This record gives sequence, C-alpha cells and structure tokens, in this order.
Amino acid sequence: MAIPRVFFVTGKGGTGKSTVAAALAVALARRRPTTLADLDRRLSAAKMLGAAPADSTPVHVMDSLDVIALTTRAEVEAFIERIVPVRAISRRLLRSRTFGYVTAALPGLEAFLLLERLRMLAGDAALQDRYVVIDAPASGTAIELLSVPAGVKGIAPAGSLNRLADQVEAFLSDPARFGAIVTVSPEELAIKEAIETAEAIRERAKAPVIAAIMNCAPAALFEAHEIDAVGHLGAHGTLAKKRGTAEKNAAHGAHRLEKAGLKTITLPMIYTETIGMGELGRLARALETELLAR
Amino acid sequence: MKSDPLDLKSRRLVVCLGAGGVGKTTISAAIAVRTAASGRAVDVMTVDPAPRLLDALGLNSDSSEPREVALDSVLNSRSRSAARARLRALKLDPKGTFDAIVARNAPSAAARDAILENRIYRNLANALAGVADYMAMEKLLELADDATTDMVVLDTPPAAEALDFLDAPRRMLDLLNSRAVSILDIKGGFFGGQMRMFDIAARTVLSAFDRIANLHILADVQSFVNSFQGMYDGFAERAERAQKMLRAKDTAIVVVTTAEPGRIAQAREFIEGLEAAGLKASAIVVNRMMSEIPSAAELAAAKIPAALRAKLKRNLADYAALKRREYISIKSLREALPEGARVLAAPEIGHEPRTIADLAEIGRSLRSH
Repeated sequence: MAIPRVFFVTGKGGTGKSTVAAALAVALARRRPTTLADLDRRLSAAKMLGAAPADSTPVHVMDSLDVIALTTRAEVEAFIERIVPVRAISRRLLRSRTFGYVTAALPGLEAFLLLERLRMLAGDAALQDRYVVIDAPASGTAIELLSVPAGVKGIAPAGSLNRLADQVEAFLSDPARFGAIVTVSPEELAIKEAIETAEAIRERAKAPVIAAIMNCAPAALFEAHEIDAVGHLGAHGTLAKKRGTAEKNAAHGAHRLEKAGLKTITLPMIYTETIGMGELGRLARALETELLAR
Repeated sequence: MKSDPLDLKSRRLVVCLGAGGVGKTTISAAIAVRTAASGRAVDVMTVDPAPRLLDALGLNSDSSEPREVALDSVLNSRSRSAARARLRALKLDPKGTFDAIVARNAPSAAARDAILENRIYRNLANALAGVADYMAMEKLLELADDATTDMVVLDTPPAAEALDFLDAPRRMLDLLNSRAVSILDIKGGFFGGQMRMFDIAARTVLSAFDRIANLHILADVQSFVNSFQGMYDGFAERAERAQKMLRAKDTAIVVVTTAEPGRIAQAREFIEGLEAAGLKASAIVVNRMMSEIPSAAELAAAKIPAALRAKLKRNLADYAALKRREYISIKSLREALPEGARVLAAPEIGHEPRTIADLAEIGRSLRSH
C-alpha cells in the first residue's frame, strides 16, 4: 500500500493508542529514519521508547528513531513571537492573563497552529525521506483538532489565515502526506466508537483513514463447547468465558470494522507484567507484515 | 472492611474527577444510586454519559434540568428510610447554563442580547478551556440551593489535570476581570507603566490577527468585554461560594481511574494537583478492577480432559500476568496516596452498565482495596 509521510494514531482512551504509536514508530524505523511526535502531555509513547523529550528538539532513542514532544502552548508561543517581534513584549504578553482573550477571540487557534506544524513536519519528512508517527489525542479531541481548518475558514473567509487553512486542509486530505489510524479494543462500545471516529475523520476532516487496529485480541485458545464444559468450575470457568468473549468481540469487531470500510489489523494481547521494548518489538513485527508490507 | 468507605451517609457533596474514558460518569452515577437506595435524596449531574448510561438514568440528550429516576428495582421498601429515598439526574448543558447566568446578571435586556449575540461569546464555550468546568460548578450551586436535596454528586468534564476543574472559576474571573476589561478598553488609556506594556502588547496581537486574517476581531473583543462590565461582582460571589463548598468538611473529592499504568500515572498527577490547590482526595476509585485469580490447585482436582486442563492452566497463567500488572500499578498509586485517603476498587461487571440495578451493583461493591 501507499504509505503516508505522517501517521496520525488516535483512539478511545484505554485502547492502547500510545502503545500502537510506539510500535508503529519502531516498525517504520526499520525501513527509514522515523520521528515519533508525542502530542500527549504525559509522553506515554515517548516513555515506552525510553525517552522524555522536553520540546521539539529530537531525542535519539535507537537506530534511525527520534522522539519529539509537541504542545499547543509551544506552537502558540512561536506564533506570537513571530507576530510581536519584540521579545520582552511577547514574553510578557504570553504570561499575561489578558492573553485568554486572544484564544477566546480565535476559536481553535492553538489547534490550528499545531496542525500547521504537522504540515511542516510532513514537508520536511518528504524532503529527507523520513516518516513521522503522531501519538495524537484521544478520538473526541482528535476529531475536533482535525476539523479546525474548516472552522478557521468559517471565521476568516478571506486573508492569509484563510489561505493557510486551505493549505492545512490540502495536507490533511492528501494520502501521500497524511493518514489516520484508529486504535480499538475488543469491547462493544470501543468498536462502535472507532467506527464513528473513522467516519468523522473521513467526512468532517476529509482526511484518509488508513486502518483500524484491533488491539489486545487474545490468541485463540478455547473452542466454544469447551467454555460451556467448564462452566461449573467457578472462577476458572469465568476466566475461560472472559477470554472467549474477548476473542469473539475481536473477531466480530474486525468484521464490523471491515464492513464499515476500514482495513483492520489485529494485534495480539500481550500477557506480560510490563510492556517493554521486547513486547513493542513483537507488535512492531505484526504491524510490519500486516500494515506496511502489503 | 468498612461498609461505607466514603461516608456517603453524611456527605453533602461528592465531586468525581478524572481523565476521559475511565468511567467517571459511571462511578458518579453508581455512588448516587447507592446513596439514594440507602434512603437519602440525591441529585447527580452527569457531563457526557454514554448512550446506555443515559438510558439507564432515564435521560435524553437535552435533559438539562433534574429528572426523577425510578428506584423501585434497587430500593429495599421495608427499610424505614425508604420514604426519603430519591434520585434525580441531569446532564450538563454548558452553553445553556452560561446563557442563564448572563440573563440573570445582565443589567438590562439590551445588555443581555448584546452578549448573547456577540461572536466571541458564541465561540466561548468551545474556545475557552474551562467554560464547561465553570458551568458544572455553577450548576452545582443551583442544585445545592435546593433544600429537599441531601447530597449532590458531581461528575466533571474530562480533564488532563485536577486543576482544570478546580481552577475554572479563577480563569473565568480573570477573563471577566474589570482590570483586564480596562486593558482592552481603547477609550481608557490613563494607566501607565507595566499596565501600559500589556495594553500595547495585547492590542498589537489582536490587531495583527485582524490584519493578517481579515477578522475584525478587535471590535468584537471590545464590545464583549465592555458588555461584561458590571457583571463581575456577581460572578466573583458565586465562584467564592463554590470554592467554599469544595473545601467543606462534608464534601468528598473522589479521583476516578483505571488500573492501566498510564491512567495511574495520571491519577497520581491529579492527587498532586489537588494538594497544590490545598485540597485533598478522600478516595481514589480504581474502576474495572479484575477479579481475584483463582488457585491453580483447583484445576488439578477437576474432572476434565487433560487437554482442556492444559488450556485452563495456560489461560490462568495469562490472566495472572495481567493481574500482576494491575497490582504493580496500584502499588504505585498507594505511594502517592494522601494521608487518610483510601483506594477503592470498583470491579468490572463484564458489560457496560445498562440499568439502575447495574449501577447499584457497582455502587454496592465499592470497597477498600
């Protein structure tokens, strides 16, 4: 398949979004230099790779893999410093409470500047033949983020901001530059929400969704009749049933996601006490064969 | 094991804080159902309930006023206190609540309409992080004023940190602060020194926006802040009352999380944020806890085919590893626990809560871990 420069990984909380972003970055780094850009304040994905970047200065974590942190605050600061060239004044302004008005005056300004930053990252990545993986916000916030250019065009029907919004929209809808990935867990609600999220990204933000990733799918173990046969074994029966339900949800969920027009990749549940580099490597291999090699 | 670890019999207010997706609304509703079933009159304000939970509470998407929830399925009618038992639920409507505040505080109908029609006001609910938080606080005051209510349970908007909610009134007041108003009021201009610096800087930025973006924002901002002049005192007084309520002895602040390592790290940040604000969590509820892992010895005695026994053993080992992962997470949570606070476990019930009985089950099973 055609691979975009920027992979935007989102999903409902608790579906393993950061784990998938980290594993995808590891998988891509085996082909080309790759940057993981963490938009999450807690840097979950970056920390899984053993780094805690303070800002957009790359931290090298392994062969051909760097990690950076992006925050809306830093993007707004950079923007204000461009507009108000006197540093003492721009600094002061950023600290002042009055600044709340500026963000109130331009809804989505912060989000918009962040998207503009992603667009520039995609441009750099194309020049340097790199990939970028974004550990994006959870699905609700991510949809809002990706829908911001339309909002900006609504309030600025002309002028340079409008032109900038056009460029960001073109970036988001270009499958060579941008592709969203939606993570999902084998639970009814998560599956439904993943389908809605993919729809919203495609329809509201006009952005391509490359795949849904069904995370934490248990490896097949029991036949249905075996689960019935151990029903009398108390807690052991309950655990067998729990696994059976998760297996079934994963299979049904993948089917529903495919039916909704989403290429679906299933990643195995990893039954270990901690998720370290070894476990990420396992997931990366699965992503390599299922997502990238096709 | 204490049967009422949150002292729900004597609380007037329970505030549930937490990140999105941890089941904050479910836990809020469960606490409310449990308390109402024990014979108190309870109101629960939810922020963004999943459709099934909305159904369970008998709400629809625009139930912004309290609606009575039938308790028949969970009430012990022989209990002497059953007569007082009452549960009402509502869903937060930030924009509607804000409109109502404006209407209440505006000096005239013309002033009210000027605000409601202002472009910045109309964008404010989405633009300014914290408007929903402030409105939750405002609705709380309204509910608390009702003398027929014994306890209010407040679900809060999903937050990245505890201060998002607790700090909302201050941020709101800053926005409406008369000093800030004067900074942007172009007719002013009699202040010098430092204030003048802000004045110039703020105006530079706004006019730069206007210039590059063709937005004509400056005029809107001015008319917005002007229209709020004179309303500040009303806001300040309400905000102070809300702060007092949060700090009252009969208020419980509950941080909701799941056992996932990332969520636990977040919960620890919430606890620290509360402490920095001079507040203390009464309890941390760990939602969707796995049940205890049974012993492998039981399998040896079971009369089942060897192949099936092997599969059950493998399944047991798999889940035991996940249970240990959970245990490690909760251990790290305990390290950050404030004195006197408890960790409460809410077990996973295997499906989304669909009925009041499901919520009552979760509420009843909340216990010290």
